[in-house]
Amino acid sequence: MKIKLNGKKLEVKEGTILEICKKQKIKIPTLCYHKSLFPEARCRICLVEMNGKLVTSCSTKPIENCEIITNSERVLKARKRNLELMNPGIDMDKLGDDFEAREIYEEVGLDNERFESIKDYHPDLGASLIRDNNKCINCGRCVQVCAKIQSVFAIDFASRAHNEHVTPYNEKKLADIACIKCGQCLINCPVGAIKERSHLEEVKKALNNPKKHVVAQTAPSIRAALGEMFDMKPGTLVTGKMVTALRKSGFDKVFDVDLGADITIMEESAELLKRIKNKGVLPMITTCCPSWILMMEHFYPELIPNMSTCKSPHEMLGMLIKTYYAEKAKINKKDIVVVSIMPCVAKKFESTRPELNTAVDYVLTTRELGRLIKQNKIDFCKLKDEDFDPTLGLATGAGDIFGTAGGVMEAALRTCYEIENGKKLKKVEFENLRKFKGIKEGEIILKGKKIKYACASGGANIRKLLENKEKYQFIEIMACPGGCIGGGGQPIYFDDQTLKLRSKALYKQDSKREFRRSHENPIVKKIYKKYLGKPRSKKAEKLLHTSYVERGRF
Amino acid sequence: MQILRETNLEGLKLAREIGREKVLEILSKKGLVGRGGAGFPVAKKWGLSLNTKAKERYVICNADEGEPGTFKDKFILKNNPETMIEGILIAAYVLNAKRCFIYLRGEYDYLRGELEEKIKEVLEKSKMKASIEIVRGAGAYICGEETAIIQSIMGYRGQAMYKPPFPVIKGLWGKPTVLNNVETLTNVPQALLYDDWNSDYRLFSISGDVEHPGVYEWKLGVKMSTILNTVKPKGKLKAMSFGCFGGIMPVDKNSEITTESVCKENCNHGAFSIIFIGNRNIVDICISIAKFYTYESCGKCTPCREGTIRLLNLLKKVKKCEATKQDLDTLKEFAEHIQETSLCGLGQSCGNHILTSLEHFKKDYEAGLK
Repeated sequence: MKIKLNGKKLEVKEGTILEICKKQKIKIPTLCYHKSLFPEARCRICLVEMNGKLVTSCSTKPIENCEIITNSERVLKARKRNLELMNPGIDMDKLGDDFEAREIYEEVGLDNERFESIKDYHPDLGASLIRDNNKCINCGRCVQVCAKIQSVFAIDFASRAHNEHVTPYNEKKLADIACIKCGQCLINCPVGAIKERSHLEEVKKALNNPKKHVVAQTAPSIRAALGEMFDMKPGTLVTGKMVTALRKSGFDKVFDVDLGADITIMEESAELLKRIKNKGVLPMITTCCPSWILMMEHFYPELIPNMSTCKSPHEMLGMLIKTYYAEKAKINKKDIVVVSIMPCVAKKFESTRPELNTAVDYVLTTRELGRLIKQNKIDFCKLKDEDFDPTLGLATGAGDIFGTAGGVMEAALRTCYEIENGKKLKKVEFENLRKFKGIKEGEIILKGKKIKYACASGGANIRKLLENKEKYQFIEIMACPGGCIGGGGQPIYFDDQTLKLRSKALYKQDSKREFRRSHENPIVKKIYKKYLGKPRSKKAEKLLHTSYVERGRF
Repeated sequence: MQILRETNLEGLKLAREIGREKVLEILSKKGLVGRGGAGFPVAKKWGLSLNTKAKERYVICNADEGEPGTFKDKFILKNNPETMIEGILIAAYVLNAKRCFIYLRGEYDYLRGELEEKIKEVLEKSKMKASIEIVRGAGAYICGEETAIIQSIMGYRGQAMYKPPFPVIKGLWGKPTVLNNVETLTNVPQALLYDDWNSDYRLFSISGDVEHPGVYEWKLGVKMSTILNTVKPKGKLKAMSFGCFGGIMPVDKNSEITTESVCKENCNHGAFSIIFIGNRNIVDICISIAKFYTYESCGKCTPCREGTIRLLNLLKKVKKCEATKQDLDTLKEFAEHIQETSLCGLGQSCGNHILTSLEHFKKDYEAGLK
């Protein structure tokens, strides 16, 4: 098809005007457009002129011999007017880091502000997410992500005209409905109308209190993403800098949740092997992801017997900090404040679950940690690398890969295989689990028995996998697409490429480790020998395992 | 009236005898076009659907007549529903559709019982293997727009979708779907059957400051003086408006109502519903119309969602004599802007009344300046 783009003659094959322009390196501002979603053409910022008519480039395909202009006076003016209508009275200076659209606002620019905001909504203040419709521009990305990618259908539009707003059904709060608090809506909100419930102020208070012994523990996927908060390339590993920055921010000790992951593997593989041996309920499903637990409790309560009883890694390590570490360091556990740095907003909700008997006091997201570091005026990029505190700071490669979808499975299989078959794996990497896919599967021989396993990440993929769950004996599930690297607490990302780079960084960290199997970890061995006994001992069951409740769909 | 001629299933019988190709040929030769406002040839629309490969096709009769001042479909539904149902069945026969729908305006729910009986009766007599289901709208104006109807029937929010793909290619549940309104479908059997059927007849809904409001049938090209002599204005007429979206303009007694004469800049005849306006303040009229749009905008796209309320607020400012000259400029600028950048027909016409009245009745606006 022949077209004329900004005066240049072109031969194009397919795609929308926006896609064609992208290939031609012509930048068009967009707000409601998202690569993996259906273009609804709501925001009307991406307007261009086609044959003298204004059309939205995200949804329009060019017609034969058309003339497209992307930068005429008329186009620029129309974009400005739509921005002016969209959210009047917005104070650019007060907007936080989550305001992804800042660049668009600056690019399009406002030359005139003639209207006042007419929105008057009560923000929805949840334990994980805070939704403020007053900032919303009705782009509908959260609605689409929730329905199409996560398959949760927690929110939708209600009302008409200027009263149209995003809400759970019947104007309920997110806390009262079947919302899994994955935070994918937050990641996809261009204007920061959805935010995490910040624990930053409480953490700062604890840090300033000399009586408190404040301990930070960082999740595996933080080190692969934190750098992005400081304009580093996606996938830059910043493990050492992160530890230094935490110490500089005033944390007394910095521990590694990767170690918690190793302990999780010890417990989980013991549980799996026991279930296989005793013909227990199979498939066994992993429970590292708090959003998945919520999804199960809301939509699949019949799966409660299938769930592993293991707490998530940071809850395990948190518990060990307040028991094992407190005893060892002779600190009253009441004086210890455990702060988990997580890629996740659902962890904030998890730490309020009564049945968990949690040891974690506060949960910060990757973004909040970035903000803390910025507020303390620490020049992150120039920091020297430091190591985790040794008491609970040494982890294996198996713990590192927990942060990416398929990682928990891989780590568990490494341990299961070697314990059960009594011989070493020739190759610890499971390439079939490292592909960037929503659903992955494979099989392994344990003591002559064929065990089929599968992983799913992203709500829609989870539902698909669970339809034929009987085929498998072991299933890993992560609620966010790509696993924790794509979590709702991570720096805002735009495309899958970022996720691929983050996951690559974790695999790189794994390959560099001295120990790559959880059961080889000397600290894990020490903890079991001196404190817990063996996996699934009475003490371990008490400290490291939990139960689940059935929640309704409505 | 031509529209009231009954066909007693003879049209369907004829259609089945001569086959679908021939039906399309006749409809095309006789010049039957859609009566919804766009005037798209019926034979062409059906042909487009037929040329799309699909296992299933659907027919929807649009009875969601929501335009203010329009009530001619109700007139047909009450007085000649059999012919309309026959029209649906002819469409179903030509398109080989098994399921047909009548999307009935929410406010016309009282017609439903009778209509259901008539459908049963006609279906039995016709011995067609097709079903006709009545889907009741919930009262949204936007659900008269074809893509919004489809969304609504599928159970989603009644919001306009981006076109293309057009419904004739990809509509209800992704299958080719033909949408025609009540008046068009009623004309189908009549056009097939009667040699003296004239394609120029249109139903007019007349309301406003006149003695005899109601539904009339005139040929295109009818003189305004003929209309006025029939409906008898109450006192001097200041203006007239085609529905809500057609724009407000002065009454010209010598004008002829044709598609070309009315459809000028910012004016559209729509479904030929004329509201006559006597000696009233035009700003008041505009406020009523703006209120309608502010209520009925579906909220999907930015300019229409946020713009309609701003236009209303500006008009209210004029009404309260608080407006500045700058406000009038803003009013005009945004009325144009919303028309230019909105997604569907509602947004694209929601500034018509302001733009036309600013042109023709500037005095009424200037009286509202500070």
